[in-house]
Amino acid sequence: MTVSPSHLDLLEAESIHIFREAAAQFRKPVLLYSIGKDSTVLLHLARKAFFPQALPFPLLHVDTTWKFKEMIAFRNRTAKQLGLDLIVHTNEDGIRRGINPIDHAPSIHTDVLKTQALKQALDKYAFDAAFGGARRDEEASRAKERVFSFRASGHRWDPRRQRPEMWHLLNGRLGTGETVRVFPLSNWTEKDIWRYVLREKLEVVPLYFAAERPTILRNGQLLMQDDARLQPKANEEVVMRKIRFRTLGDYPLTAAVESDADTIEAVVAETVNAQTSEREGRLIDHDQVGAMEKKKQEGYF
Amino acid sequence: MTVHTLPKAKSAPRVTPLEVVPNLVRELGGIVHLLTCGSVDDGKSTLIGRMLWDASDLYEDQRESVRRSGRKAAGTDLPDFSMLLDGLVAEREQGITIDIAWKYFDTDTRRFVIIDSPGHEQYTRNMASGASHADVAIVLVDARSGVKKQTKRHAAILDLVGVKHVVLAVNKMDLVGWSQDVFRKIEADFRTLCWKFNFWDATAIPLSAVFGDNVSTASKNMNWYTGSTLIQHLEKVPSRTSEAGSVFRLPVQTVLRDGQDFRGLAGTVTSGSVKVGDVVADALSGAGGKVVRIATMSGDLESASAGQAIALQLDVDIDVSRGAVLSSPEMRPVAAQTIEARFVWLSEDAFSPAAGYLLRTSTDLIPVSNIEIKALLDLETMASNPARGCAANDIAIAKISLGRAAAIDVFSETPETGTLLLVDSVSGATVAGGIATAVNAKAEAPLEGHFVLKRDMLANGINRDLSMSSRDREEFMRRANEVAIILRSAGVPVAIEPPPPIDDGMDPGL
Repeated sequence: MTVSPSHLDLLEAESIHIFREAAAQFRKPVLLYSIGKDSTVLLHLARKAFFPQALPFPLLHVDTTWKFKEMIAFRNRTAKQLGLDLIVHTNEDGIRRGINPIDHAPSIHTDVLKTQALKQALDKYAFDAAFGGARRDEEASRAKERVFSFRASGHRWDPRRQRPEMWHLLNGRLGTGETVRVFPLSNWTEKDIWRYVLREKLEVVPLYFAAERPTILRNGQLLMQDDARLQPKANEEVVMRKIRFRTLGDYPLTAAVESDADTIEAVVAETVNAQTSEREGRLIDHDQVGAMEKKKQEGYF
Repeated sequence: MTVHTLPKAKSAPRVTPLEVVPNLVRELGGIVHLLTCGSVDDGKSTLIGRMLWDASDLYEDQRESVRRSGRKAAGTDLPDFSMLLDGLVAEREQGITIDIAWKYFDTDTRRFVIIDSPGHEQYTRNMASGASHADVAIVLVDARSGVKKQTKRHAAILDLVGVKHVVLAVNKMDLVGWSQDVFRKIEADFRTLCWKFNFWDATAIPLSAVFGDNVSTASKNMNWYTGSTLIQHLEKVPSRTSEAGSVFRLPVQTVLRDGQDFRGLAGTVTSGSVKVGDVVADALSGAGGKVVRIATMSGDLESASAGQAIALQLDVDIDVSRGAVLSSPEMRPVAAQTIEARFVWLSEDAFSPAAGYLLRTSTDLIPVSNIEIKALLDLETMASNPARGCAANDIAIAKISLGRAAAIDVFSETPETGTLLLVDSVSGATVAGGIATAVNAKAEAPLEGHFVLKRDMLANGINRDLSMSSRDREEFMRRANEVAIILRSAGVPVAIEPPPPIDDGMDPGL
């Protein structure tokens, strides 16, 4: 070996190590797949960790029924192409109660259709470990997150039960009722994700690339009218704009940026030179002070 | 709380693409994990903030918020760079027992990971935990007070967990008139201190975090200093992985199969390297085979070295599974039955002889039959004071008897496979983290006054359904340990009869 490994090589190896540790130590893990770029990288690393074996765990997508249409199409295509075991779960009770992100506060919508739905699914299938794509650079409250993040029964995140992690030793011994969230991308940054997508030539949801799309400007944020459920208010109008997304989620809660970046290279260039961090576009984070902190305690990723 | 108004932006956000895109898929030349030690008074947050401000790829919104806040560094007209750490400070209320925050920044050549552990009263375990990840540590002192008792404690903890590169940042040089004499005195004290430890490189740098002198730009106030700035120095520090020893080790994490003839022993090379054609052996049994394939999804490799995650296929099927450590046949780790260890007690619950503990090595989880605490280490005098117990923040010296043989290296020789965690077998909690200072293949006789769980008694009773396979041998010890835990919690001092020495031809697990 004459070339020393790059930082992406090192991050990749670390993630593979984490995947293998978790799969070996937990009885029934699942990969939380949210279709976005982080999930794309997460899935790719999981496949690398177990190559040439098939993935030793299923994927779980918590579908709020408010995802962009293109996300769902991408999800189904990916699962088919790679022969993945994909579980889709929706909180049907929440849907029946009419909870939605347009009429309800984002915090209520997120709690019912994401957090509660996730807990339902984890309980239903009795998963004891769930891989997530969270990164420590995303937000201040995640900067202290462990690679193995323990949850007491009821999926409660109890700060006092978080285990110190030393060297590369990962202790996955579960106490009674405990489950764990595993974060193989802990040490990746947003820029790393994009550079890796480019390097590994990974396919991502087309919404990351700029295109003319129907938009509504609301409270200074650009929303995309993905279907008829989102309608302009009295002083608003639907305008075609060239936009793309830096993060993907429920479409009424995901702000777009105006951009001409319509290739992966252009997107990476924009991201590397970006002037704002990506969570600017995630409306649920602005909802309450300490929003992410609160959501984490409740069991959201 | 019912507030759900969205913040108003002045106009729709727009990402401005810059004209010049330097090197798109820029891959940085490695990752350096950086621990900062020092108290708030030494200017730790300001130093980290200054490094982020001067040398990193901060987002513009983060810079703008510092400018807009109007907050000034104490006694100056300069922005308060410690604000960049505010996000982390705000999290202090979380109450996590061991509190470490991670922050990332890139210079032109490297990724830096700042490991920030708070310096307040419970700092031994915080710092040890953070330092275990560090390639280099910045020990911060105030130029007005120089090397203190605390500096010594810091150095002792860094040494314990294997940090080899230390930088003494002599901060607030502006407050001592940029005096060379003051710096040289502190530098000399630091050198004297470092002689006692196993550091490979200990460098002192005079700087001012508030004014930025010698952080990323050379100071104009200290022309007498001709060494590197802090950032220049950090860009040259080698990472632990790149300095991993030459002795090959691969702790097996899992065995991968493709449903046909592929059986890959998967894991991360922790030191040394391996290439196709090499003969590798299981440390415990000595069983070995020739490497015929090093598989990764990106393609097969001819060779792999420390830090790479791979799967090895051998020319013969050897009976190894998770927990085994592969090495060269001549340089195998010891099949340890007892080890001498130093560890930092991390748990709020003190050590209890009645509790059941497990020992976690890189990929193995081993039942512990007895822990004998011998002494506690005084970090200021480095003296070991005889003791029988230990509690949070103590550094204990102990002898650990294992329920079965395990592949363990001496930390000072082969660090990655010489690190250990003690795990509470009931709650699963990580109660201590430490290093092996000596390993012994000979089992200790159970202690006087203990009820001994005899192996033949176990084999004829609770374990009579088990075979001699490696999986069943593991199950044998698991059951033995569970029985011991139940008895201990009922107040019975109990020991598991140690296995016979591994090289007498008998089955290693029994």
